[in-house]
Amino acid sequence: MILFDFELERPDTAADAVALLGRLRGDARLLAGGTDLMPNMRAELVKPGVLVSLGAIAPEAPATLPDGSLRVDAFSRLADLERSGVVHARAPMLAESARAVGGNQVREMGTLGGNLCQESRCLYFNQRHDYQFAARCYKLGGERCYPFPTNKRDTCWSVYMSDVAPALVALGADVEILSEAGGRRIPVEELFTGSGLAPLALDGAELIRAAIVPAPAPRTGWAFHKSTVRGGLEFGMAVIAVTLALADDGKTCAGARIAVGAVRERPVRASAAERVLAGAVPEDARLAEAAAAAAKEVNPLPHHGFTKRYLMDNIRVHLRRTLARALERARGARG
Amino acid sequence: MSDLNYVGKSWRRKDGPDKVTGKAVYAQDVKLPGTLAGRILRSPHPHARIARIDTSRARALPGVKAVITVDDTKGIRHGFVETPRYPADQEVLARGKVVYVGEEVAAVAAVDQITALKAVELIEVEYEELPAVFDPVEAMKPGAPEVHPSHPKVTDPYANVGGKSETEWGDVERGFAESDYVREDRFESHLRTHGYLEPHVTLAHWEGGKMNVWTSSMGAFVKRAKLARTLDLPYSAVRIHKTYVGGTFGGKIDLYSHEYCAARLSMITGRPVRIVATREEIFSAYRHGQPLAMEIKTGVKKDGTIVAQQIRVINNSGGFRGSGVVVIFLAWGFTMIPYRIPNLRYEGFSVYTNYPVRAPQRGHGAPQIRFAIESQLDRIAEELGIDPITIRLRNARLPGEALPNGDNVHNAGLADCIKVAAEKSGFLEKHGRDRRSPPQGTIRRGIGIGVSAYMGGTLIYPNGSAVIVKMNDDGSAVVLTGAIDIGQGSETVISQIVAEELAIGMDDVKIVSSDTDTTPQDIGAWISGMTYVTGNAARQAAGNARDKLVAVASERLGVPVGDLAVKDKVVYSTRDPSARMTYREVIAASVATRRGDTVIGEGYWRTMRDEPNHPSLATTKGRWTENYAFSAQVAEVEVDIETGEARLVKALTVHDCGFPVNPALVKGQIDGQISMALGHAFMEEVMTKDGYTLNPNWLDYRMPTIHNMAVSEDADVITEQYRVGQPYRTKEVGEGLVSGILAAMANAVYDATGVRLNSTPFTAERILYGLKALEFKAKQPKPKEKVGA
Repeated sequence: MILFDFELERPDTAADAVALLGRLRGDARLLAGGTDLMPNMRAELVKPGVLVSLGAIAPEAPATLPDGSLRVDAFSRLADLERSGVVHARAPMLAESARAVGGNQVREMGTLGGNLCQESRCLYFNQRHDYQFAARCYKLGGERCYPFPTNKRDTCWSVYMSDVAPALVALGADVEILSEAGGRRIPVEELFTGSGLAPLALDGAELIRAAIVPAPAPRTGWAFHKSTVRGGLEFGMAVIAVTLALADDGKTCAGARIAVGAVRERPVRASAAERVLAGAVPEDARLAEAAAAAAKEVNPLPHHGFTKRYLMDNIRVHLRRTLARALERARGARG
Repeated sequence: MSDLNYVGKSWRRKDGPDKVTGKAVYAQDVKLPGTLAGRILRSPHPHARIARIDTSRARALPGVKAVITVDDTKGIRHGFVETPRYPADQEVLARGKVVYVGEEVAAVAAVDQITALKAVELIEVEYEELPAVFDPVEAMKPGAPEVHPSHPKVTDPYANVGGKSETEWGDVERGFAESDYVREDRFESHLRTHGYLEPHVTLAHWEGGKMNVWTSSMGAFVKRAKLARTLDLPYSAVRIHKTYVGGTFGGKIDLYSHEYCAARLSMITGRPVRIVATREEIFSAYRHGQPLAMEIKTGVKKDGTIVAQQIRVINNSGGFRGSGVVVIFLAWGFTMIPYRIPNLRYEGFSVYTNYPVRAPQRGHGAPQIRFAIESQLDRIAEELGIDPITIRLRNARLPGEALPNGDNVHNAGLADCIKVAAEKSGFLEKHGRDRRSPPQGTIRRGIGIGVSAYMGGTLIYPNGSAVIVKMNDDGSAVVLTGAIDIGQGSETVISQIVAEELAIGMDDVKIVSSDTDTTPQDIGAWISGMTYVTGNAARQAAGNARDKLVAVASERLGVPVGDLAVKDKVVYSTRDPSARMTYREVIAASVATRRGDTVIGEGYWRTMRDEPNHPSLATTKGRWTENYAFSAQVAEVEVDIETGEARLVKALTVHDCGFPVNPALVKGQIDGQISMALGHAFMEEVMTKDGYTLNPNWLDYRMPTIHNMAVSEDADVITEQYRVGQPYRTKEVGEGLVSGILAAMANAVYDATGVRLNSTPFTAERILYGLKALEFKAKQPKPKEKVGA
C-alpha cells in the first residue's frame, strides 16, 4: 500500500506528457508500467505529488526505418517485444533481454522505456526506512553509506540492474529523448551518469520515446546471458550481452561489443576485452582471454550478497560461454 | 482390509473448489463496518533502553482513535513455552528496553492507513542505545552484552543462556575409547524463513463483552488461550473464528504482538481493528526459523557401527526465549530416533541475542541436525571404506526397538526405507561415478542419501482433540471439529474418515471447523498430529454415531446388532438384506422412541493414554508419542564446476507414513517439502547485518519458483492398516521430509565435486571456492599421512 497522497494525470500525447513534466518540475514522476516506481513509492524512496501516466498513449508498433534500423517505441510493453515478430527478426537479443526481466506479470506491465529508467538498487536502499536503516543514506539525501561506510557523499555504489540496457549497449542502439524543446537522439550509453546517486542522465522533464537498433553488420552473431540464483523473477547477479562480427574471411573477428550489467552503477562496456577480440581469430583461448580481461575491467561491485571475487569468476566463465555462442551465431549469420 | 471406500483414497480436497474460485474467506477478506486500521511502532535499535515514550502528539492527530504502549496493558507475559522452568517471558509491547530491531513498542488505531502511519511517526520515543550482540557464541562469553540474565538453573559460566537441554546415557568416554574411528565436525545452518504467502492478518472486534477475532493461525485454541490470558479475559470471552489460512509452516503459532494490539485497540475504541503485517515487517521483525551451530563427535567400529556420540548444539534464539528452548530439545530427539547410539552425551544451549524472536519452522531442528549427522556419517563411511547405504543399515533402528525416552518405534520402516531408496535410485551404481571418471564438459552429477525420523502428536497444550458428529435427519452429517485446515487437507481427511465410518458419501459430510465457540477443542495444526489425533477423534465420533444408528435399527428390525451392517446410508441385516432401514428412517425412529435423540456422536483422542505430561525440555525425560515416522531420501544434483552453480535434479523419498488416509495429500506434502528443502539448500537466506534485515522482500529472499522444481518420486513402506471401528495409526508426513533430503543434497554435492560443505546454504560461491581449494590442495606436495582407521 502506498501511504501518501498523490495526484494522477493521464495526458493523451507524449508531447502533453513532457509539457506536464516541465510545468510540475520535480514534483512529478512518469508512470509507465509502474513495476519499478510502485514498489519504490510503497517504500517511500520517492514521494511524487503527481504521477504523469503514459497509460493513455498507445505505443507504435516496432518498425524498420529506411536505413534498415529498427525503431521500437519506448512505451511498448516488454511482453510486446517478446512477442513481436519484427523485433525477433531484426533485434532478437532485444527480445531475449526483455524476456529475461522479472516474471510474466512484470513484463506485461513494464515498458521498454520504464525498464531503462529504473532506479539503481542496493539491499539497504530498497526497503522502507521506518525502523530499519532509518537515518537516510547518501542516495536518499542523507549523511551515510550503510554498505560502504567509508564512501564519501559523492559515491553511491548502488547497481543499475536493467536486463535490456546491456543488450541495447551491445547492439549499439540509440535512444530518442523527448522534451518540450523537441527530440534528440543519443547513444544508449550516454543515458547513464555512472553515479549510483542518480543513474540516469535525463532531465526531470524528459522521457525516452524510442530505441533505435541499427541493422547488424554482416556476419554478426549475438548472445545474452543473465546470471541468477533461481533462473527467473529476480534481478541478475550479472547480465552479459555480446555482439560479435566476423570479417569477410569468416574467421577473423571484425569487432565485438560486450556489455555487462547489474554489477556497476551503469551497464559497462568491456572495451579492453573487445580489443582482445578485434582483428584476432576468436579461438577458445582468445575468448577466454577476452572474458578474463572483461571480468577485470568491469570491476564488479559486491552487491545483493554476492562478493566481488565470485562476480568476477561468474562473469569470466559466463562471458566466455556467451562469446562462444555469439561466435557460433556469427558463423551461421548471413554474409 | 480391501473394502475401504473413502480412507486410503485420493479424494479431491474439500476446500479445493472454494480456493480455486476465490470464494475462500481469509482473515483479510472479513469485512466489518467501521473497521479501524492498526499499525505498530517498532524499535529502530537492536538493543536500547527506553527512556521516555510520549504519545500525546499521536493521540492529538485527527482520525487517531487510540494509542497504546505497555502501560495500557495488564503486563501479563506470554511465551511459546510456558512451564515452571521456562515461564512466559515476553510482554506484548516492550517494557523498559528493546532487545531487537522491529520489537513492538506501541500501537495505534486510526480511521485509515495513512493516518495510522502518521500517528506512528508522531510517537516520540527516547532511546539510550546499549551494546548489542548477534552471534550466539559471542553472546555466551562472560561479559558479553546482556540481553537477559542466564537461566538461574543453568550452572555453566555462560552469559545469555535462556535454557539448556542436557542428557546422557551409557558411558561416552568408554564408548570413544572402544571406537575404532572417532571424528569431530562442526556444522552450521543459516537463517531462513517460512515463506507463507498470506501475511499475518488479525481483525479483532470487541462487542458486547466478547472479543471476536479472525486471525491467520495454526491453531485456534492456542491463540484463544494466549490472547485471553494476556487480555486478562476468561476464555469464554474470546472467540477465534474460522478463516482459511494461506500457509504457515510453523510461523503462525504462538501469540503475536499484533494480535494482542488489534484486540486491545478494539477494546479501547469499541470498533473493529485490523492489523496486517507488511511483507517487510514479516521479514525484518517477525519470527524466522532457527540457525543452529552443531558440534558432533562420533565414534564407530570398523564396520561403521556407532558406539558413541557427543553433540553440542547452540541456537540463536533472538531477544526472547521463543521456541529456542524447544529446538535444542528437539535436535536431541531427532538425533536419537533413527540410529542406535549406545552411548550419548548431548547438550543444547538456547542463547539470547539481539535478533527477533524465533519460531518453529517445518521440521523444527530436524533439517539442521540431520544435515549435520548425515553429512558426518558419510565422511565416516568414506574413511572406513563403507558405502553410505551399508553404514545406515548397520545403525538403523529395527521394528519394536525401545527408544531412550521410553517410547517404542513399533513398526518402524527405516531399514526398508533405506533398502528401497537404494534400489529404486540405483544408488550404489551411481555413487562416486563422476568423481571416479569425470565426464566431458563442466557438469558433474552426484547422488546422496539422508535419513530422518519424526514424531507425531506429542503432548502440548491443548493436548487432545474432540470431534462431534451430528446426524442430519436425512442421514447426512455435520462434523464439528476444532481442526484448522492450513492447506494440509485436514478437512478432507476428517471427511474421509467420517464417511468411511458412517458409510455415507463425501458430499454428505459437512465440516464446521476451527471456531473456538462452536467446535470442540483441538490440538491445532502444528505438532504433526492432526490426522492421528483429530482423525482418531473423528473416527470415534462417527463410530459412536454409527453405533447409535445400529442400536436403534436393531430394536426396530429385531436383528441383533452383530448381524447388522451399514452401507450407503442404510442399516441392513447381513443375514437377510431385505431387513433394512435407511438412516432417515433410523433417525426418525430414534427421535420417536428415544425421547428425541437425534443421534450425535462424540469422540476424542490424545496421544498416549496414560502419559501425564509432555517430556521435560531440560532433561529430555518423558515420552513423546506412540507414532514415529521414518524416511530415507535420495538426492541427485548437478553442479557446474566452473561456476559452482548447483541444482537438485531428482529427489526420491521413501517413507513410512503409517496408513495414508489420502495418498494424494501425502504426495503433496512430499513434493512441497522437496521444493522447500531445495530452497533451503541452494537459494534462501535471510541476510542480516547487526540485527537489521537486508533482504526483507520476495525479490531478494529467493524462494524457488516452479522452474526450480525437481523431479520428486516417492514410495511408501506401509506399515499400518486401517480397520473400520478400530484405532488406526498414521504417522507424521508433513514436516520431517525437509530433513533427510537436505542432508542428501549436501552429500550429493560432495559426491559430484568432492566439496564437503559444513554450512548451509550451498551457494555457487561456496561450491566454487571449495573446488578451487581442492585444486590448490591437489597441487601441493603430499605430506605423509597415517593410513588406517
